[in-house]
Amino acid sequence: MVEVREIYNVHHEMPLGILIANYFYFTGLSAGSFILSTLAYGFGMQKYKPISKSAIILATLLLLVAPINLVVDLEQPFRFYHLFIYFNFTSPITYGSFLLTIYPVCCIVYAYFMFKENLKWAKICGLIGIPLALLVHGYTGFIMALGKARILWNTALMPTIFLVSAMVSGLALMILVVLIMSIFKVDQRNKLKELALDLGKLLVFTIIVDLALMGCDIVILLTSHHDAYHAAMLILKGSFAPLFLGVEIILGSIIPLILLLVPYSRKSLISHAVASVLVMIGIFTMRFVMVVGGQSLPLS
Amino acid sequence: MKDKKNKVRYGMVIDLRKCMGCNTCSVSCKVENDVPPGVFRSWVKVVEKGTYPNVRRSFLPILCNNCENPICLQNCPVNATWQREDGIVIVDPHRCIGCKYCIASCPYNVRHINPIMKIVQKCTFCHHRVDAGLQPACVESCPPGARIFGDLNDPDSEISKLLAENATQVLKPEMGTDPRVFYIAADKDAMDPFAVNS
Repeated sequence: MVEVREIYNVHHEMPLGILIANYFYFTGLSAGSFILSTLAYGFGMQKYKPISKSAIILATLLLLVAPINLVVDLEQPFRFYHLFIYFNFTSPITYGSFLLTIYPVCCIVYAYFMFKENLKWAKICGLIGIPLALLVHGYTGFIMALGKARILWNTALMPTIFLVSAMVSGLALMILVVLIMSIFKVDQRNKLKELALDLGKLLVFTIIVDLALMGCDIVILLTSHHDAYHAAMLILKGSFAPLFLGVEIILGSIIPLILLLVPYSRKSLISHAVASVLVMIGIFTMRFVMVVGGQSLPLS
Repeated sequence: MKDKKNKVRYGMVIDLRKCMGCNTCSVSCKVENDVPPGVFRSWVKVVEKGTYPNVRRSFLPILCNNCENPICLQNCPVNATWQREDGIVIVDPHRCIGCKYCIASCPYNVRHINPIMKIVQKCTFCHHRVDAGLQPACVESCPPGARIFGDLNDPDSEISKLLAENATQVLKPEMGTDPRVFYIAADKDAMDPFAVNS
């Protein structure tokens, strides 16, 4: 093999950083929480009713905070209104600027009817909100997937991976909410404990789907073209391997799965709390590895 | 290729048989376009391969390809990046919000943030010079005349003749961008960002 050395080249600064990863994380949490809140008010599954109100409040707050990351990340933050007066309908960001406006409004209206116990309108708003929640997070997957230059991003699986990981992080957040609620609501403790265990089962299911999708993505990267192989190697052996394999896969998926599946710990609330925290760290790492790792591959 | 037969379509051929890696193009670009320190619109990538005495040093001048189907244009949310009739891709400095999505989408690493103006900029084939009937600064200043700029749709132009008579390459054709900067005798190891192995 001929030895090749780079004598001179220009590497421009990485355009998108941790703020964007943070934004993806927040919208993911928001979309996950929203969908969980509609289980009771949209689909009539009464056992999930105790989390609905906390879920919708969290979904709204997270989605109000999330776009701040985006505006701060702009080089010209005071020109953010350009997004609403000049459109490019081939750019996912244009869709995002409208979704990020409509979705919080829908959240607030839905929450209003929920707190008024107006079940009919809460159901309607909840059901309208589900596609919005999916789109608001799904489009961030498209932001990645259409950033064609970055091999790690440019896969058709990306929107799906983002949606599933959004559900994973939303479920973990809701388990933590239920556990905190059970500390303060002593009279409902048994009911809340059952709910936490129930959400734990959903969490196991979504983590497995998430791992399966990640596995598919990596197998295709490894066997696809030359650049894709290098992208896979970056997260399997290269500088992002400790974050991807260590934190995202082992700490954020495998250990929570063990905690939630092994007979010794699967009924314990403490193991649910630990698993949820680990999962949330794991999903944040996933966003970080995708955004920053994807851009750390050289282009020229 | 899109049907733009009768229109002018600018492009560049870089003849690497003549390039000597002097970086005059990099410097003249900086001077002509007031490119701030730390960023480049045009530079020469240098790759060295082999072990003594069987060695070669390869040069690859890199600049915006002013693609026929630019990904940056597809992804710019505010249409700040636009394409002129003659194919030159330009960023509107008053409209750009600096979301940097175009930088993330460009497969050629040729867009940069102007640290002073806080907007995204890139090589525009010196469109102000082209409009005045001049050649781009890098073409004008290249000592061995390795860069040839002209109308790709005019069969009598020097660039069309070169393209017709030589084996040419473009960077990352798999991206489907249809680049308009062509290389003659480019080295595979210089064109491949992952070729560096030591």
